[in-house]
Amino acid sequence: MIPAISATALGRRYHDQVALDDVSLTVDPGTVTGLLGRNGAGKTTLMRIVTGQEFPTSGAVRVFGQVPAENDAVLRRMVFVREDQPYPDFRVGQAIRVASWFYPHWSEELARQLLADFGLPLQRRIRKLSRGMRSAVGITIGLAARAELTLFDEPYAGLDAVARQLFYDRLLADFAEHPRTVVLSTHLIDEAADLLEHVVMLDRGRVVLDAPADDVRGTMATVSGPASAVDEFVAGRTVWHRQRLGSRASVTVAGPFDFAAQARARALHLSLEPLSLQQLLVRASGLSAEEKVSA
Amino acid sequence: MTTLVNIVRYHLVDRLSYLILPWGVMAFSFLVNLAIAAVVPPSPDGYYTGGVVTIYIFLLICGALSMTRSLPFGLMLGVSRRGYYLGTALLVVLLSAVYGLGLTVLQAIERATGGWGQAMHFFRVPWILDGPWHQTWLTSFVLLVLFFLYGMWYGLVYRRWNVPGLLAFIAAQMLVALGVVVVVSLTHNWHAFGHFFATVTALALTGVLAAIAVMMGLGGFTTVRRVTI
Repeated sequence: MIPAISATALGRRYHDQVALDDVSLTVDPGTVTGLLGRNGAGKTTLMRIVTGQEFPTSGAVRVFGQVPAENDAVLRRMVFVREDQPYPDFRVGQAIRVASWFYPHWSEELARQLLADFGLPLQRRIRKLSRGMRSAVGITIGLAARAELTLFDEPYAGLDAVARQLFYDRLLADFAEHPRTVVLSTHLIDEAADLLEHVVMLDRGRVVLDAPADDVRGTMATVSGPASAVDEFVAGRTVWHRQRLGSRASVTVAGPFDFAAQARARALHLSLEPLSLQQLLVRASGLSAEEKVSA
Repeated sequence: MTTLVNIVRYHLVDRLSYLILPWGVMAFSFLVNLAIAAVVPPSPDGYYTGGVVTIYIFLLICGALSMTRSLPFGLMLGVSRRGYYLGTALLVVLLSAVYGLGLTVLQAIERATGGWGQAMHFFRVPWILDGPWHQTWLTSFVLLVLFFLYGMWYGLVYRRWNVPGLLAFIAAQMLVALGVVVVVSLTHNWHAFGHFFATVTALALTGVLAAIAVMMGLGGFTTVRRVTI
């Protein structure tokens, strides 16, 4: 099976700043991969190199087995929706029409549906749209293109929660009918969590996590209850975080949380809360949730 | 080829920049000049305006815009830089052929009407654009292509290296001009230099302009290959 994306020791530096450092990863075709990480972690740079918009300083990337840079045969099979995509001075309808010429699998029906869903006025100039509406234009193009490799880089800047949910729903529905490879970079991890089959996390240009989402989920949990019972439960486990409030304690520990462990927690009257993907990744990036909030 | 044609169509969505403004601005300039020609006392040599230059300047601007404002969305649509440049070059050739023909027709009308009844020279430029119709068409075509490609190269230099690049690009052109002056001076060839321009035919000059246009095209093509967006 030829991977949709395979990167080998990919590096990109801008003067003395390292944007990507020895990034190696593989994205299987037909999957939805979440590309996660903090601002400046290198997510956009990676996607720009994958789509041939930027050139690596070291290493190599292949898309469907071929080098993407200046390769029309591969580029034609991709769509890349950027957070801040600049458009010419077009009306919404013009941008959609132009996009439809370039994608062999373009779905006019889906485009029309998304335009209606987002309430995008076809005659309005894109530069006059609000930020959220401009994002909706990109999302419409990205989904209706039905490109074999669809990359979204923070596609919903400025979109409200209802519109974001609409994006997830439409993506899932269309993905089910027309399977393709999707890479989605996002900060709203919990929101997108159900969508993701695989997660790749970047931190300061390096891959710090590359695993199936199901393997990541449930690897950690917060145990809380009477301090003595909590101590008894967590004995022998890796403790990530410990908090004490009077006679009660709340401790974040590593799994496994199998039936035996769950039964034991119940017997000790402890509550066992699995960490969400977002909480896990905040931990993985080496920051505690508290620090993250105050940052 | 489909991609190239799609790039042409993509640019032409902006009808205002590519179709309406070039002719609109020139028409405005034409009417102003016609009004002036009507009120100033007629001179025995006729009234020379040079107004046709506006359309060339406009294509220069279109060229620059095609490689700055329109480039990111063009590349978003799964087109290589090479495809984008060549598609735009195809647009240049098509537009210049049609526009050159338009200018040729207007020149013929100008000649037939005795300079729009005012002895006005708007579409006739002495020596270079004042020959038979086929020569006017050819020279207009080459000049339009030249200006457009030159504008594209400017746009690409700006996209790739920003303002410092633009300044360096302009400085480099001045150095080339200076180099020509120095070489001609040092080899005491000013006489031959003057002789060339005094005797060259409009057709031969068109050939020289075509060679420059090809250089502009190669320069732009080389620059676009490593542009990032």
